[in-house]
Amino acid sequence: MNCIPALTIENVATLDGILADFLKKSDAELIVVIDRGGNVISQFGDVAVMDVTIIAALAAGSFAATQELARRIGEVEFNALYHQGNGSHIFMNSVDDDTIMISVFGPRTTVGLVRFYSAATALAVSELLKSLDQSGGHGFTFDAGDVTATPIFVDHPV
Amino acid sequence: MSIINYASREIQFKIVYYGPALCGKTTNLAYIHERISPANRGDLVSLATAADRTLFFDFLPLNAVVIKGFVTKFQLYTVPGQVIYNATRQLVLRSVDGVVFVADSQWEKMEENVESFRNLAENLAQQNISIDEIPYVLQYNKRDLNNVAPINYIEFVLNNRKKRVQSFEVISSTGQNVFASLNAVSQMLLHKFSKQGAAAPTGAVAPTAVSVEPVPAPKLASPAAV
Repeated sequence: MNCIPALTIENVATLDGILADFLKKSDAELIVVIDRGGNVISQFGDVAVMDVTIIAALAAGSFAATQELARRIGEVEFNALYHQGNGSHIFMNSVDDDTIMISVFGPRTTVGLVRFYSAATALAVSELLKSLDQSGGHGFTFDAGDVTATPIFVDHPV
Repeated sequence: MSIINYASREIQFKIVYYGPALCGKTTNLAYIHERISPANRGDLVSLATAADRTLFFDFLPLNAVVIKGFVTKFQLYTVPGQVIYNATRQLVLRSVDGVVFVADSQWEKMEENVESFRNLAENLAQQNISIDEIPYVLQYNKRDLNNVAPINYIEFVLNNRKKRVQSFEVISSTGQNVFASLNAVSQMLLHKFSKQGAAAPTGAVAPTAVSVEPVPAPKLASPAAV
């Protein structure tokens, strides 16, 4: 049966606890866990200032592109990437074969601190996601009657 | 792969616009971005060259309430159509849920259409996805030009698999059938994940006649519509 992989409220609470602990220790502003296709799995921190969906899509693309670069020099992938800005920076690291973690941080902290705490966080997130896989996940299906019968998207004249 | 979050009550789907170079994939997304309610879309992000050719991908996030009680996020991507960018197309196709294949209706583009469709099937197969299993629709774009092939010919060339799919005559620059094809692929992938869709045999999605007439936009948007 086709079903959608699902995170229960308990799963999200556990994940949020791991991410909150990381933000507190590292002093980063935002952390986003995504799959390598660019879907957001979880996010924590100051999400009001930026569009997390777009950050996830671009980060997944960036990670995938540099993976090819890594292969050219004999690596399987670069397991961490750092983009340095003037005031805000992004650190990305691999969680597992399907998942990436993105940390956005500013002048309150340093890349060394973010990098240090992200390693343990990635491990904890990886173990949580693995336990979901082993339990068979919590698949989600719905009745066709729950889907709207009207056109989903409508062309509005400008 | 789509994913659902019960805490935020969100479901995410990824739809990729695929097709040969200069067939109108980016124009599709630009039209949708321009015409859809701003409350239900994010920014259109284009990673393009200085000459406005897609280098990596275009990305447009949309959201709607289509399943009772859940916000559904549709993430629309385009791929670069140029042949040399196949590695990039493979990256963008990762975790795809549905495809809109945009064909260029001009006679001289038929070979490129066929090659691009074959390339789509190959790239999906690399992810262990069969073209016959993934929800997709066909767009026959640029129907306003003079040198276009007749629809029955394009149907014969691109839509002659065992499972025929929905196809649309499109003029992406004016928006003709752009929303109709987006709605069709969205409904197909929702159907795939619904209990009835899962229980139905392969190929249960309605086989299809080409919608020759442009689909007029409803005069009054329903509450569920975006």
